[in-house]
Amino acid sequence: MIYADYNATTPLDPEVRAAMNEALDVSFGNPSSIHSAGQAARRLVDRARAQVASLIGAAPDEIVFTSGGTEADNLAVLGAAASAERKGVVTSAVEHKAVLDPCAYLHKQGHPVTVLPVDRHGRVDLAALEAAARADVALVSLMLANNDTGTLQPVAEAARAVKACGALVHSDAVQAAGKLPIDVNKLGVSLLSFSSHKIHGPKGAGALFVRYGVRLAPLVHGGRQERTLRPGTENVPAIVGFGKACELARTRLEADARRVAALRDHFEAQLLTRVAGTSINGGSNRLPNTSNIAFAGLDGEAITINLDMMGMAVSTGAACSSADKTPSHVLVAMGQSTAEARSSVRFSFGRDTTDEDIDQATSLVVQAVNLLHGARS
Amino acid sequence: MSERIVIAMSGGVDSSVAAAMLKQAGHTLIGVTLKLQECHDAHGSKSCCGVDGITRAREVAGDLGFPHYVLDCVKDFEQLVLQPAWQEYASGRTPSPCLHCNERVKFGLLLDWASRLGIPRVATGHYARLEKDEAGKPMLLRGRDTGKDQSYFLAGLSLDQLDRALFPIGHLRKPEVRDLAKEGGLPTAETPESQDACLVAPGESYAEMLRKHFDAPARPGDIVDETGKLVGQHDGFHVYTIGQRKGLPAGGPARRWVKAISPETGQVTVTSDASELVDTEFVAKQVNWLAGDLPIEPLACSVQVRYRHRSEPATIVAQSDGSLHVTLKTPVKAITPGQAAVFYDGDRSLGRGWIG
Repeated sequence: MIYADYNATTPLDPEVRAAMNEALDVSFGNPSSIHSAGQAARRLVDRARAQVASLIGAAPDEIVFTSGGTEADNLAVLGAAASAERKGVVTSAVEHKAVLDPCAYLHKQGHPVTVLPVDRHGRVDLAALEAAARADVALVSLMLANNDTGTLQPVAEAARAVKACGALVHSDAVQAAGKLPIDVNKLGVSLLSFSSHKIHGPKGAGALFVRYGVRLAPLVHGGRQERTLRPGTENVPAIVGFGKACELARTRLEADARRVAALRDHFEAQLLTRVAGTSINGGSNRLPNTSNIAFAGLDGEAITINLDMMGMAVSTGAACSSADKTPSHVLVAMGQSTAEARSSVRFSFGRDTTDEDIDQATSLVVQAVNLLHGARS
Repeated sequence: MSERIVIAMSGGVDSSVAAAMLKQAGHTLIGVTLKLQECHDAHGSKSCCGVDGITRAREVAGDLGFPHYVLDCVKDFEQLVLQPAWQEYASGRTPSPCLHCNERVKFGLLLDWASRLGIPRVATGHYARLEKDEAGKPMLLRGRDTGKDQSYFLAGLSLDQLDRALFPIGHLRKPEVRDLAKEGGLPTAETPESQDACLVAPGESYAEMLRKHFDAPARPGDIVDETGKLVGQHDGFHVYTIGQRKGLPAGGPARRWVKAISPETGQVTVTSDASELVDTEFVAKQVNWLAGDLPIEPLACSVQVRYRHRSEPATIVAQSDGSLHVTLKTPVKAITPGQAAVFYDGDRSLGRGWIG
């Protein structure tokens, strides 16, 4: 199988697996226990916390482990809105549902919520952000990189722009982590979420960076773990795997990103010349691994399913559905028509993608497209 | 010859066995389950939205080794099937939503979806058979299992739709299908019989469920006997159908049936005289004819006026407006406006019309 859906999830790195096996087999203790077994597990969590923090330039104490990116996003949005006197929340139209849905929930609870528009490449309008950053805003949430298109947001500029209003800035970095160098201090954010399984770690672990001094209200109650922000016995094996995955991501980031970008660029160049009617969504400032390609006049879902049957895994923003299918909210927010948005397919590459994969991927896409053109005539 | 075939899978035993048979014949299958309803009540009822059907279908596809996709048809199903069904009830008629579902969803949207993938054929687990006539045109035949036959629900499909359809289990009887499922170790071998009506909650009529779904007002009114004498009141005429005995006021004659429903006045007329309920002729409209030209000369055939009903000998003749005038050899009880009349020559379905 050619796996070109790394933005959905990634395979477990063998080194991560080895680290997790050790945690599963040897250090089964409860990190909160006083005895040696507990201490051994605690040390593993401590080490993982340092590894995770180090990927984003944070201090270990600023890391709160969660069950994943979605929970981290929810904790950031709901936790910030609940703890502040201020009630307002500002976000963008292209955020992941893990941010948009909690914002919609807050809106129902009576919080003023502003959803900022984006340009045709999916970049947020900084002027609109500045206008929205009023004194009653508790939180501005802006993703670092978009999951559908890979488009990068000007998070550092946004953080500077809203600094005067005193709002906390959160960034959903689930797609950016491991693909781009991240430094929370350079970004100037107070909260940043990311996830283990997008960077060759196990599913079931994620983290929220919570800057020293930032007050959040927890979503769950019942213990002192994670500074009471996320009580409950730690998922030690997953956290250990996440830590190892962060360490690997940090050491390999630069080389991986360069290599994958070259593969991705080659793929795009091939497709644009070999398949008529193709164009790239998301502008030029994108993640190195993501290609969101529009196939004019064709159905992205049909391409995805034909590719699946040929042994290649890709993704459409649209859920699998029929006449009324809702296309990717990201592409629609970028001003695309429903038909345009439905014609798009997301290809995302990663650490294990090879030159041969790219060549084969290109010919499979050509085949799938020809099949669909045949079906129409 | 191996073909690429879309198999519609409900998660029941029939479509699972249909899939297994096609797979065994060497075809390349693409499993699809249509999601027809949103799950509003996530933990309340057991199978409120077919989610467990989706899970079972996915399991079968995984066991048999082919991909499975879920097609979200919730909005389409509402527009194309539920809304027209409610309109019929609100007009004092009794709809046949399963025909609409086959014509517009299973062999409408799903067939279109298959076309977009470049796949000509769609198979289902219906109990019906297809053969070709001398000219190579498809002929729709009753399923071999007469108790399970579903040709009634399929008689509204066009020849083009039938040409692309496959009914792999149409020549089997239900016990044979169950045996095949057990022999093949299919996880759906023991699934209970599905309901014919989607969306129905236990203890509630389909009509009342639709009314609540569309948040439409009930139209209460009088129940009168054939002389016009008031015998009671009802909370909404949509829950009544011609020939119905249940839900009528107690007292009066022991046996009483609904004879007529007037959407204008909201009045439901009952009769205690069973002979009042029978008819010997009716008109079938919006005819889908599957056997060449509509009969301009009177044609002897048989007609089935609802599902789970014998077909009755009849003579039919086309009217100038394209409808069919149907004359029954012996009177038939409760010929109900809104139901489909399906015409047969022996086992072959000649077409369907809507009872006016």
